[in-house]
Order: sequence, then structure tokens, then C-alpha cells
Amino acid sequence: MRWATRAGVHIDRAACAWLIRRFLDPEAQFLFVTDPAEVPADATPFDMRGVDLGHHGGDCSFETILRRHDITDPVLWRIGEIVHVADLEDDRFDAPEAPGLDVVLRGLSMTGSDEQTLAVSGPIFDGLYEYHRRRLLLGREPA
Amino acid sequence: MTSQTPSPGEWVLFSYRLPREPSGPRTTLWRRLKRLGVVQLSDGLVALPADARTREQLEWLADDVAEAAGTAGVWIARPTTVAQERDLATAMAAARAQEYLTLAEQCGHATREDAADRGRALRRLRTEWRAINRRDFFPPPARDIAAAALRDLAAEEAVPAGPTPGEVVESAP
Repeated sequence: MRWATRAGVHIDRAACAWLIRRFLDPEAQFLFVTDPAEVPADATPFDMRGVDLGHHGGDCSFETILRRHDITDPVLWRIGEIVHVADLEDDRFDAPEAPGLDVVLRGLSMTGSDEQTLAVSGPIFDGLYEYHRRRLLLGREPA
Repeated sequence: MTSQTPSPGEWVLFSYRLPREPSGPRTTLWRRLKRLGVVQLSDGLVALPADARTREQLEWLADDVAEAAGTAGVWIARPTTVAQERDLATAMAAARAQEYLTLAEQCGHATREDAADRGRALRRLRTEWRAINRRDFFPPPARDIAAAALRDLAAEEAVPAGPTPGEVVESAP
């Protein structure tokens, strides 16, 4: 399937792309557009104005995708909290990782293409997932 | 226009109308606008210097307004005179300066707390510092005052209470 989002990928879009490829559509292809009108008819838009998979009711796009796809994995919801705080900076959740992760993603967007940002951030989100999976299983900080 | 006169930059304007009731969405919107550090131009019209981030944040707010049965628009605009832009920048810098001074004051209070409260205050005030920085587009001199106050509080936190050996030697007659 083809998925489309705004060019100039930052934290929410990078996290959404990782979520889509890892949990929804392993064959996902991503397009980057500058205007919502440029989204091809066969592509699913996300993290853009006026689309279903965007910000809704105070949720960031990552949380919206979890909701729309009835994903209940608590580890993904924990990552959703981090992405929310990094993206919206509203301190709704206690997510000390958020400011650091946001800076890393901003830096990536300055040094490479959107494809490169996704390629590098994918393993970062894999690591974040594994860390929080272990933390949840152990009930404390993993070593 | 000579090279000495910079031309005004781009601003992103956000115009909005929301029903008076329920008041919840109005309150939420205003809190979010304040967090972004907008300058108010008139009733239902605020502005920020235009960049990818400010524009995106205001676009999301426009969607929120639409979901709350209101109307909103996001515009890119350029003041016609440098003076007009300077007025906006001055107002924004003054608002941030007030926030930095409040932060510095709180740092001062915190240095007189006991160690545990001081640690908590330091973490809270550092978060606050980052939040003010994020919406500070025209850093005022008060920023340095707040930075110094935070550094002092952090230094207090790093050393155990009481004079250090170095200080004892120096203050000895």
C-alpha cells in the first residue's frame, strides 16, 4: 500500500511511518508531499490537515492511528505518550524521553532526506519499543 | 530600500471564531496559543513569526477549531513596514521577559528551600525554562538573568550544603 504525508518529516510522522511499516503494512511505501491536494488517490494520507489519520480531540497522529486500528499494545501506547509530548509539547504525559527524541529527529531532518530520516529513525523506534517492552514486563527500569 | 533597512519577514496569522458556549474549547485553544507564544493582533487574530513549525502548530489548531464548530484560518502575511514588525517583536519580547523574570524569582525562592524541595524545584524550573525558550522568538536581556538564576540553583544543588573547603580558606582572615 502507498501512504502519503507532508514532506519535512519530524517526530510524529517518523513515528507513524515506523508504526505503519512495523505493525500495519510491512510493504508500506511512503510518499512525501507539500500540499494535501498532491496526495494520489491510491495513497492513504496521515499526519496532514483535514485527513482521518491526523490530530483529533487532542491526540497526535500516532495516537489516532492506534485508535483507528484498535491497537491496544500498552508498549505502543507508551510510545504514543512520548510522541505526543514531543510533538505537542503540552506535558500531558510524563515522558522525559520526549525532548531528547524530538531534538534527534529535528537534527535528522536537517541533515538528510525524508527517506533517510525514516531509515535512521526506524531502528531508534525499534529500540524504544524493546526498552519499554522490557520495562513493562519487569515492572522497573531494565538494565 | 537601502541595504541597512531590513525588509519585514513572514508571519503566520491565525484567525478564529468559536461559539461562546461551551467555553471548554475556547479555554483549551487559548491555553495552546499561549504556549506557542502568539502575539494578539486583535480579537480572534494572533500572529507568530512564520516557520515550518509555527505554521504546522497553527494548522492543527485550525482543525481543532473546526471540530469545535468554529471557523479558523491560517495565513502567511508580511507587515508592510519594519516599524510594524518591530512593534510585534517588542511586544513578544516583553511578554517573554516577564516570564524569564518570574522564573528567575522562583529560582531565588528555591535556593532557600531544603535540599529535597530544591531538587524538585530545579527539575520543574528547567522544564519551564525549555517551554519559555520554545516560544521565545526575540530573546530579551532577561533571558540571561533567568539563565544565571537557574545556573546558581543548579550549582547549589550540585554541592552539599555548607561552605566548601575552598570558601573557608578564602574567607579566613
